[in-house]
Amino acid sequence: MFPTLDPLLHSELRLAVMSLLISTEEAEFPYIKEQTGATAGNLSVQVDKLSAAGYIEVEKTFKGKKPCTICRITPTGQKAFEAYIQALKAYLNITK
Amino acid sequence: MEENLNMTAERSLEIITEQIAQSRRAVSKTTGQSLFVSGLCTMGMAVIIAITNFILINHASGGLGHLLWLVLPVIIWLFMRKYNKEREHTPVSLVGSMVAKTWSTFAWFVIGYFIIALIWGFVSMRMLQPEEYVATRIEVTPVIVLLMGMAITITGHILKQRWLIIFGIVAGLGCFVWEHFNMGATTVMLLSGQPHPSLSFAAIASTLPCLTIFIFAFVGLMLPGLMLKKQRV
Repeated sequence: MFPTLDPLLHSELRLAVMSLLISTEEAEFPYIKEQTGATAGNLSVQVDKLSAAGYIEVEKTFKGKKPCTICRITPTGQKAFEAYIQALKAYLNITK
Repeated sequence: MEENLNMTAERSLEIITEQIAQSRRAVSKTTGQSLFVSGLCTMGMAVIIAITNFILINHASGGLGHLLWLVLPVIIWLFMRKYNKEREHTPVSLVGSMVAKTWSTFAWFVIGYFIIALIWGFVSMRMLQPEEYVATRIEVTPVIVLLMGMAITITGHILKQRWLIIFGIVAGLGCFVWEHFNMGATTVMLLSGQPHPSLSFAAIASTLPCLTIFIFAFVGLMLPGLMLKKQRV
């Protein structure tokens, strides 16, 4: 019996955002957009979904006079990502 | 990248690996710029100090130019601050913070060691006999190049760049052996054909540590920095 993959993480863009944030302390919205190659609109929708689930926190601030959106992963998001990896290992039959 | 809810487990793994590798490459490029700038500044400073020492040796204060090394971290910091203002923000990642901590540890050790050597040099010169002073003198350059080689090698391990590891080991150990066994001064003495050191020999010898640092900065900092910068992100 395979464990269930978190449906919130089992989406290409949301998974890419989470993978990017898991290895960084925080990342600005334009950086995530550039790294994932997503459109600003689509990315914004997916970021909102992750934020609503409590997986990431979004901070809207200013860099000089320009508005700046900073995303960072929460402890809940880290746990969810780890659980997702464990489930993935079961699917791929990785024992380590 | 679009919304796709019917991903296979393999595709999920591919996305995770890809994003983590991309983040590592972005950090590598930033580290490359830091190494490149540090290398250029160190090489420039080595030339300035060599000229200063060469001039000052005639006034019996050769080696005083080495005090200028204390200004080097400030110059590198100023250049990096200017660069960081101009470039797009790269997030602080685990890899990036490990590289930064490696180099800040190196900087603290080098500055501390340099100051200890400097203080001991002044104290021992006044308190000890010339033979005792020579025997107890703390050599600065060999230890600094060794520490720098270690920092480059650790950076190579963190960034998974095998050639950076090799550069660090070769440059660090090579320059350490060259400096510790005074091979530069011996070569100059042999080439001049004079068994006893003259003032002109002392003038050239006072610039030799700068030459070692110059070569090291080129091989261990500037060249790897340039290679990391040129890598495709």
